[in-house]
Amino acid sequence: MDLDLNVRKEGDHSVLEVAGEIDVYTAPKLREQLIELVSDGSYDIVVDLEKVDFLDSTGLGVLVGGLKRVRNHDGSLQLVCTQEKILKIFRITGLTKVFPIHSSVGDAISAPTE
Amino acid sequence: MDADAGPAPAIVRLAFPPEPRLLGTIRLVVGIVARKAGMDEEGIEDLKVAVSETCAVAVGDLNRAGRLDPIEIDLVESADRFGIEVRDRAPAPAVAPGDPADGEIGEIDDREFGLALVGALVDDLKASTLQDGGNRTSFWLRRGPGTSPEPAQGSVLDPPETLPPPLT
Repeated sequence: MDLDLNVRKEGDHSVLEVAGEIDVYTAPKLREQLIELVSDGSYDIVVDLEKVDFLDSTGLGVLVGGLKRVRNHDGSLQLVCTQEKILKIFRITGLTKVFPIHSSVGDAISAPTE
Repeated sequence: MDADAGPAPAIVRLAFPPEPRLLGTIRLVVGIVARKAGMDEEGIEDLKVAVSETCAVAVGDLNRAGRLDPIEIDLVESADRFGIEVRDRAPAPAVAPGDPADGEIGEIDDREFGLALVGALVDDLKASTLQDGGNRTSFWLRRGPGTSPEPAQGSVLDPPETLPPPLT
């Protein structure tokens, strides 16, 4: 089990593509990547979860932490996800009200930020 | 563990050391056994999240206490349900209620958040302390399509009345 992270720039946004399983073991890697992005001045981040096979509460916590960090710089953190099993975790935790969740990276980038 | 028709023997019993890297293996085994037992895909995913969250809490508690005692998992079938029981030898958690487990989030206590998530995904979640120290957590899920519980509205951040008591 591993977690693969790839970052690319698309206009003003940094797109973080995540592949694999996000749990207690792998979530620190995601947390470090989000911290690094913000430290490097990327405040508008799109996290693409389309290749994520598993997400637990630790992973949710890391994403919430990332959101707090970008908001400290008036930035945004948007998610891309169409997988029902992952969306269910966001729905039952109420985090669909916290994160903008889009069906594609293009939609996320073109969406107006708050 | 209690079942519809009394205690059922475990069809698979696992024991693993409290290492976070093994949680993926646990999910893999639970997924395979649950699929062979006739669970639908949604139920399998719910069980994988529930067992992973439960074991992650146990791993965290044991690690913080410096204990290496194995965590035991029983996978159980009844006539129409699939059940999981997780047992650990962790002492009462050192983290005070309301404190974030890793100091990362602030608003979210990972431990309580994880257990609340389990409560929203499965049926008959029961948590108790073992007489000689440690914790026992069990839950069930009905077999068959479209039977996974999901709150019609609200979220685990607005805990339902059925939320289990803390493991302490």
